[in-house]
Amino acid sequence: MTAVHQFVPALLPRDATGDHTLELRDTLRAEGWDSDIYVEAAHDELSDQAMYFERYPERAQPGDILLYQLSTASPVAEFLRTRPETLVLDYHNITPPSFYEGWEHHTSKKVALALQQAAELAPLATLGIADSSFNADELRRLGCSATAVVPILVEMDGRRSRVDQAEAARLAAAHGPGTVLLFVGRISPNKTQHHLVEALWLYRRWYDPAARLHLVGPAVTTSYVDAVFALAAELGVADAVRHGEHLSDAELAAWYADADVFVCLSEHEGFCIPLLEAMRAGLPIVAFGAGAVPETLGTAGILLDTKRPSVVASAVDRVRRDRALADDLVQAGRRRLGDFSLPVTRRRFVEVLARVAHDQAVSA
Amino acid sequence: MAEEADADGADATARAQYLSGVMADIDAEVRRRRASGDLPAGLERELDELFLEFSPVGLQGKARLRETLALVDGSAYVDVAVPVDSQKMVGSYVKRLIRKTMGWYIGFIVHQIVKFAWSVSRMFHVVVDHVEDLEAAVDAERTPELPASAVPVVDAGSAWWSGHAVTALAGVSGRVLHAECGNGSLLDRLSAAGVDAYGVDPTESVIEPAIERGLDVRAESVLGHLEVVADEALSGMVLSGSVQWLHPNQRDRLVSLVASRLALDGVLVIHSATPESWMAGTSHLVSDLAPGRPIHAETWGHLLAQLGFGPASVTRGGDERRLEAVGASNPDAPAINAAIDAVNTLLLGSGEYVLVAVRER
Repeated sequence: MTAVHQFVPALLPRDATGDHTLELRDTLRAEGWDSDIYVEAAHDELSDQAMYFERYPERAQPGDILLYQLSTASPVAEFLRTRPETLVLDYHNITPPSFYEGWEHHTSKKVALALQQAAELAPLATLGIADSSFNADELRRLGCSATAVVPILVEMDGRRSRVDQAEAARLAAAHGPGTVLLFVGRISPNKTQHHLVEALWLYRRWYDPAARLHLVGPAVTTSYVDAVFALAAELGVADAVRHGEHLSDAELAAWYADADVFVCLSEHEGFCIPLLEAMRAGLPIVAFGAGAVPETLGTAGILLDTKRPSVVASAVDRVRRDRALADDLVQAGRRRLGDFSLPVTRRRFVEVLARVAHDQAVSA
Repeated sequence: MAEEADADGADATARAQYLSGVMADIDAEVRRRRASGDLPAGLERELDELFLEFSPVGLQGKARLRETLALVDGSAYVDVAVPVDSQKMVGSYVKRLIRKTMGWYIGFIVHQIVKFAWSVSRMFHVVVDHVEDLEAAVDAERTPELPASAVPVVDAGSAWWSGHAVTALAGVSGRVLHAECGNGSLLDRLSAAGVDAYGVDPTESVIEPAIERGLDVRAESVLGHLEVVADEALSGMVLSGSVQWLHPNQRDRLVSLVASRLALDGVLVIHSATPESWMAGTSHLVSDLAPGRPIHAETWGHLLAQLGFGPASVTRGGDERRLEAVGASNPDAPAINAAIDAVNTLLLGSGEYVLVAVRER
């Protein structure tokens, strides 16, 4: 029986990599393959879904394929480097350390270590799977000789699209009729939320004095979070910027439902799942074309080549004023979402891994 | 099947054109706002500078060091007087008893911790003093800034090399940046040739005529602008004006940014004076105070080749500076003319050049 076992530094609930790992395990098992998950750490909710990675040797079988979910530094990488089995990398991107320099020294060091581990593993991997061409390019630069692009497995229907009505009512009651700009993603220097604050300030000055900015995501880089909100206070828009974190799926869906435009000015994204979430929520999208954003977005949004507040504000206004354009973007988003639907990405994953298993069997 | 693919391709093209039209409207709206005075030149740069005031990245030199040092000093004292207040009568009594009985022990440990912390703090003070001395020494070496008024206004559109630039860029399909664009005259010519061109120039007053003509120009330095442009977002670039006398470190950064911001097959055009003509012909104020010097076309070619550009084609032109040969009637003509030829070749000749290179990988 073909066996593809996944290794992941941390298995977390409501986390893109965690959800992807579980979904892939279930997909492979449904194909009749043997598939388990090995971790450095697992959240209590998922502790029965995975085993500690150092237990793998006692369960190893000839012909096993080991698939590493690579996104951060971990001793798992050191462990895999010493294993004789066929290695496949599933790369979700590592933010370059330069983004954290000056902001958070330890994070800068950690991502630098992650990149070093990736560079050590990449030449050993039979295949590097990337969820975007942007990530595939990075994998090749790290030394991976063969790559395949397969989007991340992400559930976009069912429980995830249910809106928490109480949260929706709370949000609606907290603001007036002004335009709500939304961005979802951890508050971090590479996501450049400060540029969103600048754009909000100009948008309020030029078009809609009641406009608001909603930022959803964990406040992980505290010095950057403080600077973003200090800027908002200095510009006199602190009351118009609201931050939400630790949200359930239904609460997050309520924040999407409450918004008018999704605006992404990230400088580095390996895939950007929030773009898909915005498409699912029927929001028009305005985004800066950096990293994998142009690839994920396709033509389902206004893609900017600059983050200048004047251009961002003007783009948001255009989307708000031009109903036909907004409807067109929403429809294009729904079509684009189809390219990332679970049946499509599941099938693609199985094809790619079946080829690895076949090549391994032939060479054996 | 082939028909379906054709239809999909046609749809994609139509959609790309539609979105491109929307983007053009957005750019036009920004230009209109700028022309109406709603968007003063430099406003957006000021917003970014304002943010830097709140960021540790933005705190420079003394401010950053001294702020960090104050944090170290503040943390270097450990209070042994543990609070003993309690909402319950007995709680306060118990806490006081523990503090009294444990006081000698905690005091002994804390004494050593504080001693260590103060040693560390003292070391940081020595380091900061040393760094400040170094900063003062570096500051003493700094040359005065080149006043913007001393820099000649660029009228690239009427220069001898503009035709070469337009020819090189006429076929590109994406956006083309002209830095430094001056009065925008080259942008006019590029637009007339069907090129989607925009410009940047650090001097606000110089670009005003271009803004009035409705061109997309921004008061930004080329380095500042390229830092915020996405990778491979540009299909062409023209570098001219004071770009040629950037400080060597800034020039390195520029070349690296150009290589990453240009798409594959992107076209780069560089106009520069030759180092020899620049020294001889530019104003003394510029030649004395400019942070760097122009470099030879071959050196640009070398720097660009290292970053994946193909062979550079170089065209020389501009003012021809040449000594005339003496007539054959002069008995020493052969020797004198040999010397004149050497001077013409090594020191004089064409005063400027335009270089065109394509990014290949």
